[in-house]
Amino acid sequence: MQKFMLIVREDLAQLKRDGEAERFRRMRIMTAWAESLQESVNFLGGEPLEITRRWVTRDQVLSDGPFIESKEGISGYIMINAENIEQAAAIAQGCPLVQQGFLIMEVSPILLNNGC
Amino acid sequence: MDIVEMEVDKLYRDQFGKMLSSLLRFSDDIDLEAAEDVVQDTFSAALVAWKMDGLPDNPAAWLYKVSRNRALNKIKEAKKFVRKNAGGGGDWIGEGNVGPEDPVVQSMPLDDEQLVLLFACAHPDLAPKVQVVITLKYVVNLKVEAIARILGLTIDGIDKMLSRARQKIRDERILFHEPSAAALIPRVHSVHKVLYLIFNEGYKSSWGKELIREELCEEALIMTRALSRSVVGDRETHALYALMLFNAARIKARFGRDGELLDLEEQDRTLWDQDLIRLAMVNLEFAHGGGASTYYCEAAIAGLHCAAETFWATNWNAIIRIYKQLIGLQANPFVELNYAVAIYYSGDREQALGILHELEKQAFLGRYYLLHASLGRIYAAEGNKERAKEYLETTLRLTNAPDEIAFVQRLIKKME
Repeated sequence: MQKFMLIVREDLAQLKRDGEAERFRRMRIMTAWAESLQESVNFLGGEPLEITRRWVTRDQVLSDGPFIESKEGISGYIMINAENIEQAAAIAQGCPLVQQGFLIMEVSPILLNNGC
Repeated sequence: MDIVEMEVDKLYRDQFGKMLSSLLRFSDDIDLEAAEDVVQDTFSAALVAWKMDGLPDNPAAWLYKVSRNRALNKIKEAKKFVRKNAGGGGDWIGEGNVGPEDPVVQSMPLDDEQLVLLFACAHPDLAPKVQVVITLKYVVNLKVEAIARILGLTIDGIDKMLSRARQKIRDERILFHEPSAAALIPRVHSVHKVLYLIFNEGYKSSWGKELIREELCEEALIMTRALSRSVVGDRETHALYALMLFNAARIKARFGRDGELLDLEEQDRTLWDQDLIRLAMVNLEFAHGGGASTYYCEAAIAGLHCAAETFWATNWNAIIRIYKQLIGLQANPFVELNYAVAIYYSGDREQALGILHELEKQAFLGRYYLLHASLGRIYAAEGNKERAKEYLETTLRLTNAPDEIAFVQRLIKKME
């Protein structure tokens, strides 16, 4: 077993337009999915993020940032256990919100200290 | 049957399981398979010896003594065998685990076709849900329509899963080569998960309303038993088997006369199947010493519930200790929720409510129906009707399951 982070990406501008009620509806779907992952001993935790952002660079703090028009932003994360990255990706693929096209997930193993 | 045969027969029925577990507790150097052989041989020896010399004064004591001596001989032989064949390569048998290098294990292939298929379906690249689907299709031989109904998926969705999974199964080497235990052992854990999920699918929804679910639990039990008796079964297999048996024992009590869902507190405990509970206890003992696994913890918790004469006589403090262990193995907010509920029943309402309200703040858990249901029940028990009602009504908005809805509505009614 290995730990993975599923980085959830969504169209943040669209998410803002959709409104709170719609976002909460989708969160309930995520909760039910998390419950099914917990049953298969894969779920470790996770949280959605607020849409509010600050982008920070060397020179200044950009309040909205240069990327506000970019389609996708990180809207949350999920941590899971999986046998390998193929399985982790297959699990992410099973998320109903991924299948309905509301969001995409980036799947990455958590780096462990192998000594150096 | 003469008197000796009758006595041996009776002792066999009464003592076989106890002798097995006593041998396994007696030494870590003996596995279940070997212990079963020893007990079997001991009974054969008893039959011969007692027919010649007559019954000993204490036949049971005779059996235990002989079986221990035979077990000791077997352990000595095995150690000699390992030293000779593995060039002194390690004391694996002393550690009680089986690794891929074990010469003894490698020479014993699985003889059960179904088990080999089961291992093929637990392909590590597939999501557990997909592993469940293909196991139901290829091992349990269910039709796609039935699988879709059980898992609440569309036929189309199942077909897509199957077509992706078929490629993996085709590539699966263990199906086409003589399966060696060494090839199967790394996958035992995945197989356990598939069996666990299949049992749960059968268990969690309405018992008796759909016959197929009943069969699902049975299939999972049969496969787990077969695995526990095979050379690749380990202590975790016994823990899983115990967990399933404890739950299966309580199945008939889960629904009331009108088919309504009953919780642990309301269930008629005389309906619990004591034979299954005893069998579960034996398996839990077999599982002991294998290091804590999530199944072991869950089985131990279920065992404590089964051992309690009434809901209020439950050993909540022991249950809390095991939940702590479980959180160490599998930290997640869902386990914390159950932990908090156990803390409440142990009498520490402050701590329990503290944990639950903390969980409520989380975006995902705050929308989990069971969290609201638990808070509702606790406030109802505390006599705070207003808050109880609030939480229970939120619960109704968060679930679509008809059984759960009926259950919560009954709770609300009871309060009024």
